[in-house]
Amino acid sequence: MAGSDRRRMVHYLIRAVLLGGFALFIVQLARGDGLSLYIAPRMEPFVKLSALALYASAIYQVYAAFRASKGQQAADCGCDHEPPVSIPKNVIVYGMFVLPLALGFLLPEATLGSSLAAKKGMTFAGAETLANARSGERAAPSLPASGNGGGDANASASEAMFPSDEYTASYAVYGKQLYAQPAIAVPDQWFIETLTTLDLYRKNFIGKQVELSGFVYRDEAMGADQFAVSRFAMNCCSADSLPYGLVATFDNAAALRKDSWVKVSGTLEEGQYDGGTILQLLVTHIESIRTPDSPYVYPDYNFDKQFE
Amino acid sequence: MTVVYRVGMPLLTAGCLAMLALILADNGWLSALASLDPATVQSFKLLLLGIILETFPFILLGVFVSALLQVFVSDATIARLTPKHPVAGVLFGSLLGLLFPLCECGMIPVVRRLIRKGMPPYIGMVFIFAGPIVNPVVFTSTYTAFRGQPGMAYARLGLALAICVVLGLLLSRFLKRNPLKRDAYELAAANNGATSIYEHDHSQGAKGFWGRMAATLAHASDELFDIGKYVILGAFLTAVVQTSVDREVLAGIGGGTWSGSAFMMGLAFLLSLCSTSDAFVAASFNGIFAPSALLAFLVFGPMVDLKSVLMLLGTFRTKIVAAIVLLLFALVLGGSLLTAQLWL
Repeated sequence: MAGSDRRRMVHYLIRAVLLGGFALFIVQLARGDGLSLYIAPRMEPFVKLSALALYASAIYQVYAAFRASKGQQAADCGCDHEPPVSIPKNVIVYGMFVLPLALGFLLPEATLGSSLAAKKGMTFAGAETLANARSGERAAPSLPASGNGGGDANASASEAMFPSDEYTASYAVYGKQLYAQPAIAVPDQWFIETLTTLDLYRKNFIGKQVELSGFVYRDEAMGADQFAVSRFAMNCCSADSLPYGLVATFDNAAALRKDSWVKVSGTLEEGQYDGGTILQLLVTHIESIRTPDSPYVYPDYNFDKQFE
Repeated sequence: MTVVYRVGMPLLTAGCLAMLALILADNGWLSALASLDPATVQSFKLLLLGIILETFPFILLGVFVSALLQVFVSDATIARLTPKHPVAGVLFGSLLGLLFPLCECGMIPVVRRLIRKGMPPYIGMVFIFAGPIVNPVVFTSTYTAFRGQPGMAYARLGLALAICVVLGLLLSRFLKRNPLKRDAYELAAANNGATSIYEHDHSQGAKGFWGRMAATLAHASDELFDIGKYVILGAFLTAVVQTSVDREVLAGIGGGTWSGSAFMMGLAFLLSLCSTSDAFVAASFNGIFAPSALLAFLVFGPMVDLKSVLMLLGTFRTKIVAAIVLLLFALVLGGSLLTAQLWL
């Protein structure tokens, strides 16, 4: 075997191992339900498909290595993909592929938590998330134009309690539904939407019974009896996830371990955080829960359509 | 420029390797690192792999489509179809990406061949800059990444198209000399004898249907490595920035409209992401930077970045490349602010 053939064979084999490694990593995640830690459910089928394509490429590389060992050119596209000769350069290039694989296989699985939430900046029960989603537009609901005297007294009273504009119409409808419930359980599928509604129509919900679950988050701006019940909201993948939470007060808050998962219930009230007034939960009951199978929440892009 | 590339890339990867060594060796160093802040290491891992996994489907799609076209459609066909009138030609060049959804990495060698085969240079150059954005794969990935703001995908496409039409018309008027480096071919011949890049015709290179399928797979899996290293580097830098830099610091830079856009354009230049996957990185900066800055990132990155400039300089005359890069910088900066003002 000529030296250049041997060199090509080694390259093809390294590439086969790396491509196969990524395919295996995806398969391993998909089998253990770990894929949801990295990407949103709606992207999962595509990532699983790409594992197939990676396998196919890996198998092709093995075939190319076999051809090279026989001194034959593999099917050539003539695009000058010849691997570089310099060894340090090769170590660097292949090292870049090995690093994420090694991290993925060797480090234990974990979820995003307080440390990243602090870097990314927590959003507390957040009418301002609406403003973000509407790219800077002010989301404060404007009062409906006065003077359209129709409707019975009840309806107009609830209209006055839940004023809305074109961007907040669905939140107003959802708000009325929540208001009718004796106790509000914040659902995972509408975590952000529910917190946003509660905050948007804050005055109406003071004194209401609310229950939600999330991980414990704390920062310096909080009082000794404060913590936040938080979730990461993911759009596509872990890198674009942002932390959302509701501040809670609880006498024994300091005893709670950060990043531990809790289910809390209590009544809504207004509290102080970082020099501002925010919506917070006065905790009456708290229990420790295990990390849920789906630790993240996902914004519902069809939220508006539910209320048309 | 070259210095940045020569020094920066090995330094970064040396960092990668050092970390890798720490992880593999596990001789107390790892536990030392872990005891510093295991949560940060975990976040870093989750972000890095999240981006990589997310981009796989799109890179693979782009690589396979590009490889199929590369192997099955001859360059001569395209050269024959090219219109002769400048305005029609510029539009043709801008929209060619709809038919040929190539990544920017696959673009330059193809265009070089096309120009040698008789395509007017200004059309080929417009294709280089428009193709990586004005194409269905990139539109889909942008739309997916910005599900909450579908306007972003349209704005990206529209702005790129407008800028490339302006660029193309200017080039068709002022570009008189052949923009290709005159001695590129001879240089290649003298250096390593790899002239086949310039004269190789794919449609004749492989024989029969299965031969062509094998060539497609060969091209795709090789290109996966060519592109993959930039994607991983980009994901690595993004994960480092997100796990180590406070949001307030970034927001401070992103606060100003001009500085935010300029900063994101600089970031796009350095990261050199593939246009099929950069939308996911941009989306991870959502809320920290204004939409105009994200748009600037999405439009400027695929047109001008570290790796494409290096490739351009290897193919075209330096003066032309410098003029185009400066022009594109100004157009994208102004255009992104204007578009965001009107649309987003």
